[in-house]
Amino acid sequence: MAGKSKAEREALERQNAAIMAVFERAGFDYIAPDIIQPADIFLERSGEDIRARTFVFTDPSGAEMCLRPDLTVPACRYHLSHAEMPDAEARYCYLGPAFRFPNEHLSPQEFMQAGLEWFAAPDAAAAEARVLKLTISALEATGLTKFRVTLGDLGLFSALIEDTHMPVRWRNRLKHHFWRPHAFREVLESFTSSRNARRTSISGHIDKLASKAAIELVALEMEQRNLPLVGGRSLEEIAARLADKAADRSEAALDQRKADAITGYLDIVERADNLEGQLNRMDSGRNFNEARKHFQKRLAEMEELGLNPKRFEFKATFGRELEYYTGFVFQIEVETSEGFVSVAGGGRYDNLLSDMGSPAPVSAVGCAIHTERLKAVLA
Amino acid sequence: MKTLTLAIPSKGRLMEQTAETLEAAGLRIERPSTDRGYRGLLKGIEDIEVAFLSAAEIAQNLREGKIDFGITGADLLWEKSAPQENLVSVLAPLDFGFANVVVAVPECWLDVASMADLDEVSESFYARHGRRLRVATKYLNLTRRFFAERGVTGYRIVESLGATEGAPVAGTAEVIVDITTTGSTLAANHLKVLDDGIILRSSAVLAASPAGLADPRAVVLQKNLKKPK
Repeated sequence: MAGKSKAEREALERQNAAIMAVFERAGFDYIAPDIIQPADIFLERSGEDIRARTFVFTDPSGAEMCLRPDLTVPACRYHLSHAEMPDAEARYCYLGPAFRFPNEHLSPQEFMQAGLEWFAAPDAAAAEARVLKLTISALEATGLTKFRVTLGDLGLFSALIEDTHMPVRWRNRLKHHFWRPHAFREVLESFTSSRNARRTSISGHIDKLASKAAIELVALEMEQRNLPLVGGRSLEEIAARLADKAADRSEAALDQRKADAITGYLDIVERADNLEGQLNRMDSGRNFNEARKHFQKRLAEMEELGLNPKRFEFKATFGRELEYYTGFVFQIEVETSEGFVSVAGGGRYDNLLSDMGSPAPVSAVGCAIHTERLKAVLA
Repeated sequence: MKTLTLAIPSKGRLMEQTAETLEAAGLRIERPSTDRGYRGLLKGIEDIEVAFLSAAEIAQNLREGKIDFGITGADLLWEKSAPQENLVSVLAPLDFGFANVVVAVPECWLDVASMADLDEVSESFYARHGRRLRVATKYLNLTRRFFAERGVTGYRIVESLGATEGAPVAGTAEVIVDITTTGSTLAANHLKVLDDGIILRSSAVLAASPAGLADPRAVVLQKNLKKPK
């Protein structure tokens, strides 16, 4: 459409002023993070899938820059460069353009994003409930009345994995694959009985490890075949991973019932207020019990704030596609003639600031509203 | 009848083999001697003009609908247009230009056999070295699509416009995605193809844009060029 008319611009600005008023009244500082960002943080954090949708360019000095595809990372950068103590509590809100190559319905290549980020909040469960409450209040302030809320909790999933007896590297692999349902099932299956069935082009190397140390095998193999060490990984790295693969073979298989318990958990789709019974019936360990308590406390905080969990749906697999989140996640969608459209989402991301170079760990929870989609569904 | 355009490769082995294939099908190209040299007429089918372009330009022009038919490599065609976009259609695979687009890693990575291994290595590489695994390629889109389908996200593409197979030895990338016929160049550069690392089995193809596909002459070309069973 090559831009907005005066009337369209004014209507969007009116809507967004209502959103920002809610955020500012709640005590969040209205900041303006940079639009042009160093590309590395986004690309290294997100990998090629976001890179493919990010407008990247080179400045005259040769540095790779980008138009921000999202405002969370820019808000974190703002915080790290402005705050005297990054791990002291801070609350920010923002409204500004973000840029992505479009890939789906109702996704223009430049769009106004409103959102808030709450760093180092003293009470985790209370902050999570409050961010959800503020998101809903902001949407309602624009006139939205019908929407559905989906909740997820990566903390429950991680705790369940932590409590299940298996080697640490298996846990890491399961956590890594949470986002990829197909790969997750395959990996989980490989940890139960049938895991040695498939041979690959490197099985021969692993066979030899029964009688030889991995590092010796790798060194010998490279010498005999005259292979140079290229590709940036050291002999030790290659040997260690080969040794892990050999160890996987002799490891006791994961109990089928434990594997079923994990799949059973991931199958849960339930009204949030009905979840307690289901979680209580699970044969759980210390970590899961704590995560469950945290979930219940968050629900209580939501009710305290006047939210009604009966209206929210909990989905154990929800959190996929949003790779930097670490705990509570939520999404708000509106039904249109072409199906449900996501207008807002958010959650907890406790590792991002450390990954970006914060000297101390900083807990973080936030939300983002796609204001143009909201405008479209309200029209 | 409206004149349609068939683009064929203007240089190299692909040009020679295209000319042979057309000739074998009884379709002669008449090049007016006074001409600028980049246009001709196809004898045997009514009102088809022949344009001589590079194979990459043919894939791009098909995508944009600037030409109606083209003979080019399947690798270039699907690099320029994703199949689900429905911007181009293959009318017939041809019997030449065979090559595979593959994912290859250093031979010294004795612990890596599959895309799943590569996924794990990409995570540990990031944790240990603080930067993403780099994949050198000229096939940006084929690579992104294939890696996304396999759930591998922790990598960065380094665009490479020539001698891609040398990137790991030169230290400008760890992994490559490239086209190979015999695999000898890969072996010479101490690279191996992953067990499940074949992205595309490519050959020359006769392809059409939607306008070309809708024209009856598409079927005539298809019948003439389809390789004998």
